[in-house]
Amino acid sequence: MDQRIAQFIAALRASGVRISLAESADAFQAVDEVGIMDRDTFRIGLRTTLVKEARDLDTFEKLFPLFFQSSAPPPMMDATKGMTPQEAQMLAQALRQFTEEMRQMLEKLLKGQPLSQQELRQLDQMMNMDGINDMRYQNWLTRQMEEAMKFKEVRQAMEELLKMLREMGMNRQQIDQLREAMQANQQALQEQLRQHAGEAIAQNMVNKPREEDTDGAMNRPFRALSEEDMQTLRKEVRRLAAALRTRLALRLRRARTGQLDPKGTLRVNMKHDSVPIVLKHRDHTLKPKVVVICDISTSMRYTSELMLSMLFAIQDQISKTHAFAFIDHLEYITPYFQGKDPSDAVREILYLMPSGHYNTDLGSSLLSFSKEFMDTVDHRSTLIFVGDGRNNFNDPRLDIFHTLARRSRATIWLNPEPAALWGTGDSDMLKYAPYCGRIFQVGNLAQLADAVDQLLLH
Amino acid sequence: MQSLKNSLGQQKYIASDEIATVLFLAQQLGKPVLTEGPAGVGKTELAKAMAGVTGRELIRLQCYEGLDETKALYEWEYAKQLLYTQLLRDKLHDTLANTHSLKEAADRLSMEEDVFFSMRFLLQRPLLRAILSEKPTVLLIDEIDRADAEFEAFLLEVLSDFQISVPEIGTLQAVHRPLVILTSNNTRELSEALKRRCLYLFIDYPALEQELAVVRLKVPELSPKLARQAVELVQSLRSMDLRKAPSISETLDWAKALVTLNADNLDKNTLETTLSVLLKHETDLQRAKRQLFNASQPPRDRRQDSGLGTSARWQN
Repeated sequence: MDQRIAQFIAALRASGVRISLAESADAFQAVDEVGIMDRDTFRIGLRTTLVKEARDLDTFEKLFPLFFQSSAPPPMMDATKGMTPQEAQMLAQALRQFTEEMRQMLEKLLKGQPLSQQELRQLDQMMNMDGINDMRYQNWLTRQMEEAMKFKEVRQAMEELLKMLREMGMNRQQIDQLREAMQANQQALQEQLRQHAGEAIAQNMVNKPREEDTDGAMNRPFRALSEEDMQTLRKEVRRLAAALRTRLALRLRRARTGQLDPKGTLRVNMKHDSVPIVLKHRDHTLKPKVVVICDISTSMRYTSELMLSMLFAIQDQISKTHAFAFIDHLEYITPYFQGKDPSDAVREILYLMPSGHYNTDLGSSLLSFSKEFMDTVDHRSTLIFVGDGRNNFNDPRLDIFHTLARRSRATIWLNPEPAALWGTGDSDMLKYAPYCGRIFQVGNLAQLADAVDQLLLH
Repeated sequence: MQSLKNSLGQQKYIASDEIATVLFLAQQLGKPVLTEGPAGVGKTELAKAMAGVTGRELIRLQCYEGLDETKALYEWEYAKQLLYTQLLRDKLHDTLANTHSLKEAADRLSMEEDVFFSMRFLLQRPLLRAILSEKPTVLLIDEIDRADAEFEAFLLEVLSDFQISVPEIGTLQAVHRPLVILTSNNTRELSEALKRRCLYLFIDYPALEQELAVVRLKVPELSPKLARQAVELVQSLRSMDLRKAPSISETLDWAKALVTLNADNLDKNTLETTLSVLLKHETDLQRAKRQLFNASQPPRDRRQDSGLGTSARWQN
């Protein structure tokens, strides 16, 4: 049993749940306490010690039945039971018409026998399952197995068999019963295959090698990222954000040495008979307010997503964030991020404005921003643009950009392109540049982290 | 486990099997429990009920932004120290009377130093109080996600070893291990280190029957039929796309409001006047009213024909 639990933990780790050694030790201890007799308490015992994030609960619930279930296949029924000898004779006669292989399958369905371990092993050998170590393949693998078992042909043969029986004069009721039973049995077999596929994948997950380190992905340019790299990066962003947050908090605390606050000091020292023992200072720093305007066209998508994830992860160090996304027009996107995984949120936003035939147009987006959301920018807010400044030869609306830059406390531009490329082709970057307080080149995650750290500095 | 569940029930807390198991484990393994979930599902209530069950004192630490160790752990009582030095001046004078050099006087004074840095002048804050308490306690650290990230690091020592280091005195070990319950509304990610030390319990909105049981237990004056209707309505509200879904505590408030208003039916008029107890945003209120009243028939009739099944028809 301990072996099985250890395997289960390995599989959880392989599907991206972070479990430390201490936690797995806790799990074993918990199992000692609650015992394994009651499956539900056992499950809760494992879950409470192993899974510490609400979003990982689903993974746990999916994997648990694959590792800990009575390996008994789903119940099947025997259709031949209530038959008269005469009918049984008929059936045997009809069955003789099929090939050896098909007959065995049909008999299985009639009698309701599940697949034996040996048959399952044979099936495994026919399939090449090495390297399939993701639960998303479970349905696909099940279908492959069904095909290998010739489910479709068996279904046809079943119809033929029933037709034959009808011609031989078996009564209609009995035939209907047979059909129902065989269909139910086939479904049960399907379920058994599904379980088996899941177990096989889970086994592969246990053996999956540990993930490569993220250093490589940190320094790889955003353009060259695959979807898998993105997954590792998203994890990395979470970790980075935690580190950044602590740094920002510390900085805020150290900066809290403003002017002496006489009123506060008096109030605090009342209990000391107004002898100033504790001094109060005015808070010197304010948490920044951030307005971020992101280009989410195809070329900028990853940069923007990571930038937004980072910003929303350090939310508690920022007093307010207003996020906007644009391709050809502007959308207010902050509501999409509340209580959601940023990558999901970005996907939803992309669904809202699919990239395609229309072109990136910062100019008109700036116009609609100035019409509707000008009130979000004031002397306390930092204005951040994420984009490559490629406007497809539309009017850049420098006048509005200038107004915005003047209104805000600081204007910062994050551009994934190196400075040498600015102003080439349809890039308006050089025109915007004079109005920006600072411009960072963020071609990879390491640079992005640096930029975020810098831009909250006042 | 079953007995724990029953005694929680006697404290008017309806615990699911999961909650009972986790609390049982927390007692057995001596580990803190971290509960997460939407606001108002009874996370804080759980700690109170637990204190009731075990007969322990509940010590509560409410976290907020800017909470630091002087508010959570301990603080030296400067004023008292000063006062004592003033009052003991004569005594000090005596002690130092027959010293001949400054050095000797300082030496003698330093021998008495311990008097001023003793437990006597230590102002105990919730964490220290829970650790030092003579009787076993339940320590509730409420809304830990509101505190700064550094504060978490600071809790680690308390949560894993149940001890507190005070530089001037030394390490204070827990007399009895307190049962620690932390709650979080998940407004930010908690650190891995903290999570690793805790058992994790996610409490979601309860299912219909469970919520009904809670309402019947806490507001027994409400007629069973009306209670069911009310809970069904709340459940269907949660499935709507609202800015803030109504929580259990709001359901209870609403149930109490219905009792106070002597309502015997959830007709349009009653809903109009009381829905604001459940929904706290103007837009939510508008949307809910639109959905509830724009049906072809008044909602009350539909529910009376088929009872439970109709709640699905409101989901959209």
